[in-house]
Amino acid sequence: MSFHHLDQYAHIESPITHTPPVVRLLGTVVVAVGAAALPLGAWGHMAVLALLVGLIALLARVPARVMLLRVSGPLAFVVLASTAVLFLVPGQPVFHAGPVVVTDAGLLRFGSAIGRAVVALGAAVILVSTTGFPDLVSAFRDLRLPRVVTTSLGLAYRLLYTLVDEIERIERAARSRNVGAGARRRRQLAVGIAATALTRSFARGERTYRAMLARGYHGEMPSLRTRRVDVNSLIGLGLLTVTVLATTISAYMIR
Amino acid sequence: MQGDRCLAHIPDGFLSAPVIAGAAVLSAAALAVAVRRSQSRLGEQEAPILGAATAFVFAAQMLNFPLGAGTSAHLLGGVLVATLVGPSVAILVLFSVLLVQALLFQDGGIAALGANTLNVAVIAVVGGYGSYRWLLALVGMGTRRMIASAAAGAYVSVVLVGIAVAIELALSGTLPLVPSLVAIGGIHLLVGLGEAALTAAILAMLMRAQPELLRRESPPPPVRRKWVYAVTAVSMLLAVTAVYAASARPDALEAASRRLGLGESVASYFQSPFADYTAQIGGAWIAAAGGVMVVFAVGFGLTKMIVRTRRNP
Repeated sequence: MSFHHLDQYAHIESPITHTPPVVRLLGTVVVAVGAAALPLGAWGHMAVLALLVGLIALLARVPARVMLLRVSGPLAFVVLASTAVLFLVPGQPVFHAGPVVVTDAGLLRFGSAIGRAVVALGAAVILVSTTGFPDLVSAFRDLRLPRVVTTSLGLAYRLLYTLVDEIERIERAARSRNVGAGARRRRQLAVGIAATALTRSFARGERTYRAMLARGYHGEMPSLRTRRVDVNSLIGLGLLTVTVLATTISAYMIR
Repeated sequence: MQGDRCLAHIPDGFLSAPVIAGAAVLSAAALAVAVRRSQSRLGEQEAPILGAATAFVFAAQMLNFPLGAGTSAHLLGGVLVATLVGPSVAILVLFSVLLVQALLFQDGGIAALGANTLNVAVIAVVGGYGSYRWLLALVGMGTRRMIASAAAGAYVSVVLVGIAVAIELALSGTLPLVPSLVAIGGIHLLVGLGEAALTAAILAMLMRAQPELLRRESPPPPVRRKWVYAVTAVSMLLAVTAVYAASARPDALEAASRRLGLGESVASYFQSPFADYTAQIGGAWIAAAGGVMVVFAVGFGLTKMIVRTRRNP
């Protein structure tokens, strides 16, 4: 298993990859919060934010096909989760879908949830595509997230590859040795695999920690890629924030 | 039940700005307390233990456990991790997992990260671990009792997550409160059974294979145990007698719901036998007594069932 395919546009020269990771992270949060704060049914304003995300993707040189593919996976979960909204919210009946009645208020909330989610997911996909995980951790550090959290995230990221690979191997072996086994047997196997993963992750954590101490670790994870926040990045972030704020506030003023 | 990932990890687009901001402030405060406590508890071992536990929870959430009838569930892991490394470390572990899931895999929204942290890392761990410790104080120490209490705590943690998600969605105006509680809370009542079973099974396996990994819980002193019994008895007494002293005016949540206009839009999808704390036969006293007995029976039955299963595998 590898997460390297996620940040495949991190090493491409673009105006977005030239900005420090902390600015990219803050920009993503601004777009996600701006979209979440839009009132129900603000379709035009959602479209403006979606266009903004599309423009940033263009600047980041993330192809539209990649954007659509990566957004569609999590979006399927969002659609699944928001289906209940269609018929649980009381309102004027719009149409009957079998035994349930889809209401206008339900449709409004469903559409708004999907619209906001598309914008936020698009922003998140650009961040992940253009930023490697170690850079994200350094961005958290720049945002003064507790040191213990950033250090453990860095460690977990290194452990995760080997651990997930190991779990997949054990799972495959268990499946092949138990072809045709019933749900009870498969449950027992899954519990066994989870318990094995737990003991191995703690054992690996301990070994990794000792190895780090032997290499001079003193409680701070050093980073080879340090990029200072420059004026241009701050201006870019400021412009983005003003645009998102203006879009969100105007949505409330028009109502 | 594969969909519990969607429900426990709220995506962006479902919560309103005030709920996002309020949840972010509350979870930031809880994380600050957890950081301070975990540093004093683990010392310099903090980072490797947190890293290992984070990697485990992340990997375990990728494993789906077949429940039958074509459904599967995955572990949330709050109470399991809390029994291994303590509640404050568990809060940080689950926050780290949520952060990675939201940013790398878009599983749970970025704007909704504060709410997801509040639900999955804070409410689930504090509520679930608190229930575990409370049950341990009631039933006493012992391997089977620990496993049964942890299972009950895990169940409580998942149900609390469901209730918290439902309330946040209602406060955001996405769903009316009652249908939201019935739909999301109801699903989590079922998902909680899977979490309880998984927590019990993994703990039992760890106790056999590597008991040194488990956190050593000190038995409560006799005076404290008496206090736990006393508080439990007084709570039951209050639940039964306080219905007569209760005000007929709306409570804070009801008042807030009415002010937000949620009260008018609430539709009744489920007629409870004890609706508004009143039974059709016997009135408020029977409703309170029935409620207390049902809650006690569910908790007691669940604990006994798990203890018996462990004795006769």
